[in-house]
Amino acid sequence: MVFWKRKRKSSNERLSSSDSLEASQNTKLTDNLIQNTKLVKEVFQRDTDFTLRSFHLFGKTPAMALFISSLVDNEKINRDIIQPLQAPKEIYNKSSVSKKYTLQYLLNDFLYFSEGEIKCELPSILDALLQGRTVIFIDGENECLILDTLKREKRGITEPETERVVRGPREGFIEQLQTNLSLLRYRLPVPEFRAKPIEVGEKTKTKIAICYLENIASDELINEVKQRIQDIGIDRILDAGYIEQFIQDNPRSPFPQVLNTERPDKAVGNILEGRVAILVDGSPYALIVPAVFNQFYQTSEDYVSRTLMSSIIRSIRYMALLFSLTFPSLYVTVLSFHPEMIPAKFVVAASSGRAGVPFPVVVEVLLMELAMEILREATIRMPQQVGGALSIVGVLVIGQAAVSAGFVSPITVVIIALSTIGSFATPSYNAAITFRMLKFPLIVLSGFIGLLGLAVGLMFIINHMLSLRSFGVPYFSPITPWNKEGIKDSIIRAPLRWLTERPRELHPKDKVRVDSGVKKGPSNPLANEKRGRF
Amino acid sequence: MNKQRDQVSTLQLAFIIISTMIGVSVISLTRFIVNYAGTGGPFATIVGILIGFIGLVGLVLVGKRFPTKTIIGYNEIILGKPIGRIMSLFIILLFLVLAGLETRQYAEAIQGSILNNTPIQLAIVVMLLLCVTTTYQNVSTFAYIHFFYVPLILIPIVVILVFAFRDVEMYHLAPFLGNEPNFKDFMKGALVVPMAIANFLVIAMVIPFMKNPMKSMKGAAWGYSFGALILLVVITMTIAVFGVEEIMQMFWPTLILGRMIQVPAEILSRIDAILLISYIYGVFTTLLSYYFIVVRGICELFRFHNYRIVSILAAPIIFLVAIFPEDIFTMYKYLLAVTKYGMLPLLLYPFILLSIASIRGLKRLPESEENNSL
Repeated sequence: MVFWKRKRKSSNERLSSSDSLEASQNTKLTDNLIQNTKLVKEVFQRDTDFTLRSFHLFGKTPAMALFISSLVDNEKINRDIIQPLQAPKEIYNKSSVSKKYTLQYLLNDFLYFSEGEIKCELPSILDALLQGRTVIFIDGENECLILDTLKREKRGITEPETERVVRGPREGFIEQLQTNLSLLRYRLPVPEFRAKPIEVGEKTKTKIAICYLENIASDELINEVKQRIQDIGIDRILDAGYIEQFIQDNPRSPFPQVLNTERPDKAVGNILEGRVAILVDGSPYALIVPAVFNQFYQTSEDYVSRTLMSSIIRSIRYMALLFSLTFPSLYVTVLSFHPEMIPAKFVVAASSGRAGVPFPVVVEVLLMELAMEILREATIRMPQQVGGALSIVGVLVIGQAAVSAGFVSPITVVIIALSTIGSFATPSYNAAITFRMLKFPLIVLSGFIGLLGLAVGLMFIINHMLSLRSFGVPYFSPITPWNKEGIKDSIIRAPLRWLTERPRELHPKDKVRVDSGVKKGPSNPLANEKRGRF
Repeated sequence: MNKQRDQVSTLQLAFIIISTMIGVSVISLTRFIVNYAGTGGPFATIVGILIGFIGLVGLVLVGKRFPTKTIIGYNEIILGKPIGRIMSLFIILLFLVLAGLETRQYAEAIQGSILNNTPIQLAIVVMLLLCVTTTYQNVSTFAYIHFFYVPLILIPIVVILVFAFRDVEMYHLAPFLGNEPNFKDFMKGALVVPMAIANFLVIAMVIPFMKNPMKSMKGAAWGYSFGALILLVVITMTIAVFGVEEIMQMFWPTLILGRMIQVPAEILSRIDAILLISYIYGVFTTLLSYYFIVVRGICELFRFHNYRIVSILAAPIIFLVAIFPEDIFTMYKYLLAVTKYGMLPLLLYPFILLSIASIRGLKRLPESEENNSL
């Protein structure tokens, strides 16, 4: 109670302080150049990158260009602002005296800028400065010119690190929102493509774009996404992951309910299915909602390579999931509770390998799994130069030396290796890590009550997954609830020719991908000839 | 009642019936039927299935007459508030006790077959925990769970049945009507079946949440036929493999049938453990249905819509019921008594409701009014 009161009080204090700030924010410009400059100077004081450049407009009227040098393109300012404005100009002297007119004239007829405006309120001027624009005060004007001179450092478009493909486009998103949008627009040149802007983050004022096709995505979904993003109350959005955690349906669930991707082609594919992509300025990841479970086990390459191969590969991924989740606990169960389950030869091999191992199987497996997780985490965080060397040392130590020291049995090492490799076969990193962590409670449960523990543990996981929804879409769809059309693109990937419907669970406005009748199969141009000649 | 979210399809209704029917009792059912009907077991099962089907039809008919009400709801409408609520309370109590006893039966089977040294309470607690954490979810999740587990339950059963064909002895099945056919004993054997599978009553709690309650008959009939077919095949195969005399010596003939099977590939030497996992799944879905009736029933009866609290509070009571019988024999004695005097009347109950409803002239409400009344 006391804690709560204290919280209330502090929030009250914050309110009053922001009140005083608001009062100062209503200030408008005067027609005195020195006065105006002082107003802005008071805010930025003596910041190193805050620059003032005074000059005479057309060789006569005193004027001042203000900008934050770290954000702007200096060359552009020199060439496109200072140079033309400083040059003496006859026309200006002759033209009308109307103050409004001169600024309008400069903007409309004189300067070549695609983005420019005239403003008089101090807050919007400060905002403009902070967004890399150049503000020009002219003596005798109570308004100012704001010109876009932003130049942000950005890296080139590279291949996504986390979602590599053998075959398929190599472009990945980068940090700049505009570039990412251009990558999407380039693949989706239709007027129905919408990129709705929203600003989130009290301090970071991060720009977010909600991208969808307005004739496909359902309105309810779009509104829900907008609503959830608008409801976010936070001071900072430093990556798309912040947004993901605010908009997911069940924050306590271990399972990811929002898909993220670095690949524009994947994002476009999902937008075309009727999903919504969320781009966040400053993050190379696009969020895709709603996400269902089997999406985390699909890659964009599945659609590029041939049907049979990608279907087999998809089912192999699910097998890998089953391996990584259940192998260690099954091993524990069998060795400590039900040795009669496996053939006698194997029992003999397993137990003779375990001779001299000081722990029960559960402890042994848990320790090894823990060591494996430590290794994995260490290899990610290590500097790249030593990473490779150290992971080899780690594997050697854990594998060979631990066995010969009698610390673990060789079969345990094999089991752990299988389960770890299985978890790396998952295309999505966050889904893989979920199952790696769920492995631990399963091992403990099967160590306590054997097969019953394993079965019950799996049921806990399955029941939880069945109760999950992502933006109202059941997590296990299209398998549960059953949807025959959806199955064609889930565990298997049917030929593209058969995938004529958009996922029904998303309630798309346009349910069918292609309206025109698709030809059943290729015709044989040589058939007639053959019949005629031979 | 959020109709938008809680929508159960006809297919899901069928799966709910299948997975509720195939559950705890599947391992011991054969013994009780054979006990009365002898080699007439398969035929008695068919008769029993038909009796059960009549009850199912009655239940669906009442449900279709009041497509927005659960059994608790139309009890009150048809019988009037006081009597209706007493009947509802009776049904809830029946399923509460059944849930306890069947949990005990499952725990005994687990202890008897795989966990010989683990206290029986542990198996009970684990299963109850699963039910508690699942029942306060919405109805569509309930339907998804049933839907998802059915293949996991059925595939191992089918595998066992296929491999068991090698050991079938046809003479175990003759004579068709039993050695000394006796109508009373035969019917006793037949009635064991509806006693075990009358738990399809759970659909009376699900029908109002359906996308199209008018199609419930189709789903219910398909589900029941399929589930009943599986049961019939299991019972027939068990009798055909072991014969009447041997079955009488066993508690869980179906489990032993699973133990006999050998898989060709030599990966696992015994697959009864796999069968047991699927049995645990079957038990869970059945108990979940009981628990669902209890929790949803109590909440609707007392107008107290906090499913979480009710399902947590129901767990200790079911646990006490489960550990009440001293041993497996008394457990089966109670179980048979409860199903005999509880489940069998429930088969007739829908028809009583129907006749009272038609005598009182209660008509089906038009669709628009139903929506308003929600």
